[in-house]
Amino acid sequence: MRVVRRFGVSLLMIWMVMTITFFMIRLMPGNPIMDAYLSLLQQGVPSQEAMAQIHVLYDVYPNQSVLTQYVLYVWHLLHGNFGTSIVYAGRPVLPLILASAPWTLMLVSIGITISFFIGLFLGVLIALNRNTWFDNVMSQIASIFHGIPNYVTGFIFLYFFTVMLPWFPFGNIYGNTVTPGLNFPFIASVAYHSVLPIAAYVFGAFGTWTLSTKSAAVAVLGDDFIQADKIRGLTPGQQLDHLIHNSVLPLFTGFVLSLGMMFGGAVFIEETFTIPGLGYLIAQSTSQRDYPVMQGCFLLLSSAVILANFLADMLYSRIDPRIRV
Amino acid sequence: MNEIALSVRNLTIEFPSESGRIRAVDQVNLNLERGKIMGLIGESGCGKSTVAFALLNSVPSPGIIVEGTIEYTGYGNLLKMTPEEQRLFRWQHVSVVFQASQNTLNPLKRIEDQIRELAQAHRIRDVRVLLERARSLCESLRLDTRRVLNSYPHQLSGGMKQRVGIMLALLLQPEIVLFDEPTTALDSLSQESVLQIIREIHQKDGLTGIFITHDLGIVSEIADTVAVMYAGRIVEISPTARVFSGPLHPYSQALLDALPRLTGDPRAARGLPGSPPKVVGNVSACLFRDRCPRRMPVCDLAAPELKRVDESSMAACFLYSESEEANVHVKMH
Repeated sequence: MRVVRRFGVSLLMIWMVMTITFFMIRLMPGNPIMDAYLSLLQQGVPSQEAMAQIHVLYDVYPNQSVLTQYVLYVWHLLHGNFGTSIVYAGRPVLPLILASAPWTLMLVSIGITISFFIGLFLGVLIALNRNTWFDNVMSQIASIFHGIPNYVTGFIFLYFFTVMLPWFPFGNIYGNTVTPGLNFPFIASVAYHSVLPIAAYVFGAFGTWTLSTKSAAVAVLGDDFIQADKIRGLTPGQQLDHLIHNSVLPLFTGFVLSLGMMFGGAVFIEETFTIPGLGYLIAQSTSQRDYPVMQGCFLLLSSAVILANFLADMLYSRIDPRIRV
Repeated sequence: MNEIALSVRNLTIEFPSESGRIRAVDQVNLNLERGKIMGLIGESGCGKSTVAFALLNSVPSPGIIVEGTIEYTGYGNLLKMTPEEQRLFRWQHVSVVFQASQNTLNPLKRIEDQIRELAQAHRIRDVRVLLERARSLCESLRLDTRRVLNSYPHQLSGGMKQRVGIMLALLLQPEIVLFDEPTTALDSLSQESVLQIIREIHQKDGLTGIFITHDLGIVSEIADTVAVMYAGRIVEISPTARVFSGPLHPYSQALLDALPRLTGDPRAARGLPGSPPKVVGNVSACLFRDRCPRRMPVCDLAAPELKRVDESSMAACFLYSESEEANVHVKMH
């Protein structure tokens, strides 16, 4: 019952965020519909006809009130229609997003997972060797990488591994000689093109996970039951298992939320490596005031974050018996 | 009779700190007889819990055992065993009932799973036998067996968790059980029931143990002999009755005087002003002299050693070693 209610609240939140973004987007300076209408008028199209053309193209009249547009938008949304792009005239938003999403989801989910496990491993190792040279060196390294933005690591990787040492290809996500589809050359090409962006993501993110794991594990190591485990003669493996399980708890929610956040794309990495993913799409549509595409991307992102939150709540009770739904 | 189960010699434990290596435990000697419970009492910080952890060679970091032997009859010096031997020795031969058992259980595992882990760690093949033993222990500890084994620690009350701690300590049938202030964290009702349980087990199975506490009242109920610790040293070991009727060491007397009496005026209880010193390096005077009502000139000149006073008691005080006092005088002149 609580689950149903929590889910209902999540849906309500998605609707609220969608509404707020709808109006905020239209508060931005610049009006693409009016621009298109005016340019038609300049080309000598009579105003009645220009109005009709705009309506055919964008499903909106230039002189419609924002409120009417909102009602129309929600009505279309409920029918699974996310609208049509203004920049790519006439192309529906949903296929645009669906074409971009796989690249982002693949890159970022792999990146998050790798960096999470590296961070977990290093964090526990540092906590176990607290106040030794290993702690000093590794904590510094983690702090430095925690502070370097991933587009900087991205540029450095690009420079060293595509220019200085041309080991990896530059740009796009697969070579122009392969045919997209379920064939080996295509998959191999995607994997080859993904190495640098994923590495850039991992180097930008593992430091954060390492530092959080370290502080969690240090706190757990101070708990009485860890000392008691040793006195009870539990094996080193069992003690490590208790340490890791208890240290992961505070990180778990952050991990699931970051899986939701990945629907916002890795904007800087996608820009740096020119990968046609969600981040790229968001950046492009925002700079060109492509309202429907922006609206679609933000709707996807906010839904993903809110649902990830819901999911994290539900799953957390499975790994921590003290929290029961 | 009088078989020694555990013998500690010259145990010295130091904690490195900015002001030097603090000696938390200094040259402690004690013998634990089989079938007897020894009370180990003293103020907080006197080193009594550190001694208990040392008996398992798990002094909390950064403490180090700098000297001494911990000889378990039949098994040898614990400190000379390999880490794996020590691991298997712990809990199978000597176990602990912790001060705050509620925090010593892994919060993420049911009690039954924690028992299974113990079985796995100690290479016990037949888990069912162990679980059966856990059930019968739970019954004698007046715990709702089924509920407790299926519960996570947070689902149990403080008193129940403390009894689960006792159950776990007795599970592998160790020869010796260390009770590290097992009742301190409990309300007085649970305290009484836990004490009664320990007493029952002691009488029924001839439990051998060390009972660490700062509560003299509890010691009088449970211990056969009492060792009194002050500033990391044992100052007196006497039969319990003697400690309560006429203790040897002035510090034991001061502890006794600080105890409010049910009979007579409770205001007659006298506190002991001052606090024990932190010891760095070797000791060259009696550590209790500044708080001692029976201070003598010799107390400034040497540290008294724990010496046999008569058949049943030992004390570390110049009141009982005139000859040594004479020695010091000779050295002076």
